[in-house]
Amino acid sequence: MTTTLENPTAKIPPSTHKYADIIHRLEAGGSMLPDTEENLMQIIGIYKAYAVPMDFYWRDLLYIAERVFLDPLPFFKYFLPQEYLDLPNHYAGATADFRVWQKGEASAHPELLEFMDRGELKKKLPKLFHHLWHDRINMEFAEACMQAMLWHQGMGGQFYDYLESEEYLANCDRAIKAYFKGNPLMLGLYKLFPEMFYEKVRELSYYANLGLFWEVMAPVFFEMSDLYDEGKFKSVPDAMDFLVNGIFIAAGRPIYHHVYIGDECYEIIPKSKGFMWLYEAALPYVEAVFYRTAPFRGTKSYNAQAHQVPDEQKDFHYGILYADVFPVGTAGIPPTLLMQDMLHFLPPYLLEYYQNYCRGEDDMLIQLGITFQRSMYNVTSAVIQALRTALLYPLDDPNPEHLLKNRQFFEAQMDRFLRPEARLTDIQSQDYR
Amino acid sequence: MPNIVEIAVSNDAFKTLVTAVTVAGLGDALQQPGPFTVFAPNDDAFAKLLPGTVDTLVQNIPQLQRILKYHVVAGRYTTAELKEMDTVTSLEGSPIPIRCGDVFEVKNATVLAPDIEATNGIIHVIDTVILMG
Repeated sequence: MTTTLENPTAKIPPSTHKYADIIHRLEAGGSMLPDTEENLMQIIGIYKAYAVPMDFYWRDLLYIAERVFLDPLPFFKYFLPQEYLDLPNHYAGATADFRVWQKGEASAHPELLEFMDRGELKKKLPKLFHHLWHDRINMEFAEACMQAMLWHQGMGGQFYDYLESEEYLANCDRAIKAYFKGNPLMLGLYKLFPEMFYEKVRELSYYANLGLFWEVMAPVFFEMSDLYDEGKFKSVPDAMDFLVNGIFIAAGRPIYHHVYIGDECYEIIPKSKGFMWLYEAALPYVEAVFYRTAPFRGTKSYNAQAHQVPDEQKDFHYGILYADVFPVGTAGIPPTLLMQDMLHFLPPYLLEYYQNYCRGEDDMLIQLGITFQRSMYNVTSAVIQALRTALLYPLDDPNPEHLLKNRQFFEAQMDRFLRPEARLTDIQSQDYR
Repeated sequence: MPNIVEIAVSNDAFKTLVTAVTVAGLGDALQQPGPFTVFAPNDDAFAKLLPGTVDTLVQNIPQLQRILKYHVVAGRYTTAELKEMDTVTSLEGSPIPIRCGDVFEVKNATVLAPDIEATNGIIHVIDTVILMG
């Protein structure tokens, strides 16, 4: 846990890094996001608004990975069956492995169910009509995050290596043959182009990976919202500490990919591989989605001669921590889809807040996008503090050498925000909206 | 001379470690001839972990095994031998950085009691549960 400390690093000289103030704040147990009441209100409000669609995302990601599987025409993959709306969350409700969300039920959130029923139109119409009118949860955003993880791969953990192993291919083979049993056309295609099928299953394994990751985050965010409403969060570091604790609670949860064909379960990635939420899902997710992703169509030239896209994948910097929310938010692309999803579930205090700034309701998507950016800097701070807790030393360690190691770690993390696109400086000011 | 497991069981400072190894079903493996080098976190080290961490691991045996295997290295490495090395590779597969000079540190853990000899290896007692990454 990170507790705010008075002057923990008096034993070492001040940092000379460009972001020295922020580094000193992290060393005192703080967040990259300044500790103000306004920031706390904004980030908690947006966590709640994020958690409701996330409750759909994780359920549908698992549904697609486990049941839709290799359906060549998956027209109805966004139509969650009741079984997956009822699927008990492992971190909420009475049946939880570890109850993070104290008051919540394990099944789908009531606000989500109401929205799925009546949509933005506020009318009860056939599900297909809501879908075709695009009056629904924008599952395409979740798929874009999954694709970022699939495309970048190799970001730590053992997941990526396993997807290339003989054992994985043998597991895929069993499931593919069972799924297309009695379908000579698809079995023939499999025989001709096996790699294409394996690659599709790899993608589905990332669906499962991300679904299991978000299954944890949704109840964490719901609980944070409840605690804030009860007056139990007093500061931004309180919120960050809660996230750090959440990360450690879930760190050892298994990451796996099971497929259900008929009555049988095919273990594409068995739990016995020992893959863990922290190493194989959370850290790769943060790297792929918060930092890297890929430039959205229409925002950068993919022409190699234009040099607008880095040569190295590690240099990609198109995640929320670098996003210029205004042009990104107007291009009709994944972050906009998320912002629109969050707009439906904003708590009243945040709705009222946005009415008072900029162009009120007219640019609410942009305002909440920037709030989301602030909130993700806080989540990233929690990840940085969690890594420091796990791999380095306590903030009040009496050994100056250990404090210097912590300093080097924090400085290395801040180096990632030296590039001009980073929004770390912007979020230090409340006027950035 | 007792083996690694017998030493741990007979010492009151390793109650959590012994429980974890038993739950993970690694007791038999650590009684094999080996030899092994074990970086053994004491009870205080486990107590430093944040609440919920151990609960989740105990519910998920393969994941618990993975964390425990990160504390074990194939071969018998004494302090004198570790002085010559920057890292050793754990049974989990990830490297463990070693700093063995004025201080003896294993990743972010400090060695409290080095070179406890066993029939099938050697134990170095550490003050922090070490994690991959």
